[in-house]
Amino acid sequence: MKTNRAVALTWHIIFMATVLILVFPIIYAVGMSFKPLQDAYNNVLNILPLHPSLENYITLFDTLPILQITMNTFIIASVVTIFKIVTSFLAAYAFVYFDFKGKEILYFVLIGTIFIPFTVTMIPNYLIISEMGLLDSIWGVMLPQLADAVGIFLIRQSMKSIPVSLVEVARLDNMGHRRIMKDIVLPLVRPAVTAVGIWFFISTWNEFVWPVLILKTTDNYTLPLALQMFISSEGGTNFTVAMAVSVITMIIPLILYLIFQKYIIGTFTSSGIK
Amino acid sequence: MSTLTGIWGKFNKNRGNAFGYGLLIPSIIVFAIFTFWPFLYTVYLSFFDWNMISPEKEFVGLRNYMEVLSDSKTYRIIGNTFLYIVLLLAINCVVPYIFAFVIDVVLKRFNGFYKSAMFLPAFISLVVGSILFTWILNPVSGPLAIIFGWLGLEIPNWTKTQGWVILVLSLITSWKVFGYNFILLYASINGISREVIESARLDNVPLWRLFLQIILPMSSATGIYVFIITIVQSLQYVFTPVKVITQGGPDYASSNLIYHAYHEAFVVYRTGHSAAISIITMALFLILLFLEFKLVERGIYYEN
Repeated sequence: MKTNRAVALTWHIIFMATVLILVFPIIYAVGMSFKPLQDAYNNVLNILPLHPSLENYITLFDTLPILQITMNTFIIASVVTIFKIVTSFLAAYAFVYFDFKGKEILYFVLIGTIFIPFTVTMIPNYLIISEMGLLDSIWGVMLPQLADAVGIFLIRQSMKSIPVSLVEVARLDNMGHRRIMKDIVLPLVRPAVTAVGIWFFISTWNEFVWPVLILKTTDNYTLPLALQMFISSEGGTNFTVAMAVSVITMIIPLILYLIFQKYIIGTFTSSGIK
Repeated sequence: MSTLTGIWGKFNKNRGNAFGYGLLIPSIIVFAIFTFWPFLYTVYLSFFDWNMISPEKEFVGLRNYMEVLSDSKTYRIIGNTFLYIVLLLAINCVVPYIFAFVIDVVLKRFNGFYKSAMFLPAFISLVVGSILFTWILNPVSGPLAIIFGWLGLEIPNWTKTQGWVILVLSLITSWKVFGYNFILLYASINGISREVIESARLDNVPLWRLFLQIILPMSSATGIYVFIITIVQSLQYVFTPVKVITQGGPDYASSNLIYHAYHEAFVVYRTGHSAAISIITMALFLILLFLEFKLVERGIYYEN
């Protein structure tokens, strides 16, 4: 059976329209960020700036410690990612290669936390961070996020696809768990670990809810918080500067996307949700 | 001698198990301090009247729950929450399911392009999305309003209009969520044996039947996962555009249970109410998940 050409064409039109809706705002933001505000208001429909200028970026660097803010975002995302990967990898290894009492229940409880809305833990966590004197500090943002149930889940899925015999043979050779982890399991799950790591990095980079509760002064802000400053209730008078912040917020995720999207899609495809 | 090896073996096994527990300790510590304990403490707080600052917490029994449940605002917000859930499910579960099917099974060209392009916004901050769409959909000076103007159409003042505000905020959230769900569903459909699909197509099975009777059941494990994360996680994602664009307004018309719990705790400092709302939200989620499992339990096909 051949797919009817008209049907195929209709679907292509639908998909192209969807892609346009999804991608257009990103391109629009880049164009706007190089337009002077007046130009942006007068030529709303021109995506490309008629008179490209760096005015918005200059204003941005003058009004906000944007380098510091970018650095904060980068540190938070990196530290959280590294910790989450290590804790998830170790936990996944325990769940796959050890038998102990209560293993199933523990796994079920940990994975169950994915379904707890953040509002349920938000007040106590705020109080804990406040007690520790970490309010308005990037450490207060990072501390509660050093382990991750989704990470345990995805890395465990990937480990389960390794033939058991490989690890058993190593055990018979009296190889210690530390070496098995490092020399056998890690190389085999590296694609999944990379994909999960990139995903953690992006999610933390873009995170909004928790930092908004913890961080108070602009010097400690992350990029999404800095961005929020440009939305005034009157409807963004600094719109083009907001676009410049948007572009800075998007650059690193976009680069990671270009490099790793195949990897991440591949990880979903091979380990999947089963 | 044999007992000796037996004991030795057992000792080794126990030592191995201790190592296994050891590997779990870092995760368990983080979860214990920042998830399990907070969960219990929120339950505790829901029985107290407190403003987060005063040194005294007053025990009020179930009064917070009574007050929350007798407030007409709460029902409005629960109604909004369900409307969000229905819209988010339609846009981020039903549509990507059909798209993934068509792109993987029906079309031959541009598959890779569609996959990459649709996944792209999943990498970008929803605050960026919120600000961009506030501008693009600005009813007076936004680009869409101008194009609509040529056609003699108007964009409603959606940030101020009941109903529209939920629809638009759902669409903005979907911009971020859609691609991720699409990729998960695509991966699952892509994993279905091509022989099954090819033989169905040789038998001239119509596409809609191929989708409903073969693809849907054979990818249902992922389908259910996507269904659940759409309810639980997209609803939390909605928080971002609500906080950035409307702050729950106009008059609670865009608030949902997640935003409302935040509002009660960190805007008006009624932690008891906030805690009660959070517990009610979680209970609603659990009921929804339970119903979901009851309804589709029989139909699930586990891919492995």
